[in-house]
Amino acid sequence: MAWQGDTIPIGVLFSASGPYAAIGGEGLAGSILAIDEINSNALYDFKLQPHVRDPLGITENYAPLAADIVATSGARHIIGCTTSWSRKEVIPLLEKSDTMLWYPCPYEGFEVHEQVIYLGACPNQHILPLLDFALPRFGADGYLVGSNYIWGWETSRIARDAMEAAGGRVAGERFIPLGDIDVDRIIQEIRIKRPSFILNTLIGPSSYAFLDAYEALAQEDPAFQPTVRPVLSCNFSERELAQVGKPAHGQYAVSPYFQNLATPENRQFLEVVRKFAPATEHVSAFFAQAYAAVNLLAAGLSATGTDDTRAVLNAVAGRVVTAPFGPVEIENTNNHTVLTPRIGRAGSSGFEIVSDLGATIRPDPYLARATAKPFKQVSHLRVVK
Amino acid sequence: MSRPAYIPNFDGKRALILHRVHPVVDAISRQLAQLGISCDHCWPALPASAAGDADLMIFDADMGHDEQFPWAAGAAPMPAIALIGSEAPGRLAWTMSRGADAHLLKPVGSGGVFTALVMASNAFARRLATRAELNGLTARLEQREVIAEATACLMLRANLPAETAYAQLRRDAMAARLTIEAMAEQVVQELRGAHVHRRS
Repeated sequence: MAWQGDTIPIGVLFSASGPYAAIGGEGLAGSILAIDEINSNALYDFKLQPHVRDPLGITENYAPLAADIVATSGARHIIGCTTSWSRKEVIPLLEKSDTMLWYPCPYEGFEVHEQVIYLGACPNQHILPLLDFALPRFGADGYLVGSNYIWGWETSRIARDAMEAAGGRVAGERFIPLGDIDVDRIIQEIRIKRPSFILNTLIGPSSYAFLDAYEALAQEDPAFQPTVRPVLSCNFSERELAQVGKPAHGQYAVSPYFQNLATPENRQFLEVVRKFAPATEHVSAFFAQAYAAVNLLAAGLSATGTDDTRAVLNAVAGRVVTAPFGPVEIENTNNHTVLTPRIGRAGSSGFEIVSDLGATIRPDPYLARATAKPFKQVSHLRVVK
Repeated sequence: MSRPAYIPNFDGKRALILHRVHPVVDAISRQLAQLGISCDHCWPALPASAAGDADLMIFDADMGHDEQFPWAAGAAPMPAIALIGSEAPGRLAWTMSRGADAHLLKPVGSGGVFTALVMASNAFARRLATRAELNGLTARLEQREVIAEATACLMLRANLPAETAYAQLRRDAMAARLTIEAMAEQVVQELRGAHVHRRS
């Protein structure tokens, strides 16, 4: 349906407080930035009216708040959700009210919903390229540590398959409750098992506590320095790096976007950040993907003159558009994004991009076409200090 | 490979959807395409070549009937997924009689096919393994008689007690690298041959 007047309501549903506030806040900030920019751009003949709700990181709050957005504002599009559990909570409401969710975070895959547009990476765009990078360099006997929920379980499972296909063995696998910061036993086990690397799918404070403790271990025993046995992550981002500081330096993350990306698109994007949100210090993929989601939505609204979910989806799917991380495309068969994964090494000035093959990877959310590759084993060449 | 892959993969497989033309077929086809599975659609009858050509089958439980299938009830030679709209007991009874390995409820939206496939593949593998084990056990049961006969032959021939005769049969089988049933068969044949020979 065409909107009334020149204002289009859109929902913004992120937890800017609660256990994963650092990431949820990025989604909120990226969305608001894009809305401010679009509303000041005369090329658009409409204004976006954000209807913001904060579920406080409580999964059960998401569906009622999404329903509230739809009922009170008439919004047909919601930018939001960080965790998969929250996304799954919102889906029945999307179906009932014919609403579209623009989901801007990496996740563990195995979902293709017609009313969700996935801006973040799925496993063939995060964990697999990360292991492609790490296994030949550090060895294939990784240790898996994560927060006890689906992101950690499934990402670790995919990693296990890839490591075993490469001739490696899982040195250990531990999951701790969300928010738990008691990591001593995990550190002790890592000290004994001496894995090739650690895959960290911990969230928020658990992750920060782990990185602190692992750095302390490296201080005692140089064999655990990141040049020898690094910590790898698919979800560690700029704002968290700033928060953790030095203990995270030298560790690796994979993402389609890093603030240090030296591309014209990113320079232009950071210019927009400076102009509209000058207080912003750190910009992460969670921020950039939320920003891209709103821009994509605006392009769809503009092209169709309606906020009808199907019309907007048809207008944006299959079309290459510019995003902070380069030209992207929403794959029209699965609503996921064609992305270019990059590997960043954490340091004092953000992530230094150490691997950027510049190759886009088409989304394969069910890992239907990803084949496990055997790697040339180089772990025995590692210099153990 | 010692264990199944952690991430099930169906890339390159072929599916057969036995259902009349309907949006549900399109929804399933879209989900199958995501998994790298190509699909054929047919109604009302399955082609006789289906068993050889398809890797899995999704069949309509609402309008289905036995005559559609070129194989006996419960003997689908591939993972079979029932597509259920009506939950009426009669339809469910028929679905069970066909031996569905998993099911999908209509209407089908954006999800469910992957789950049904993973579960059906697992159930089908178990179905095959169970049948093979059952066939083996049945064959051995049928040969109980020949073991008894062979033991009796050995008892008579060397004037042995039953346990010793049976132990010898087992030893001979091991030495000849035969199953005990095959060894027993041999003992009985030899004796019968000798018997016939003596009489002629």
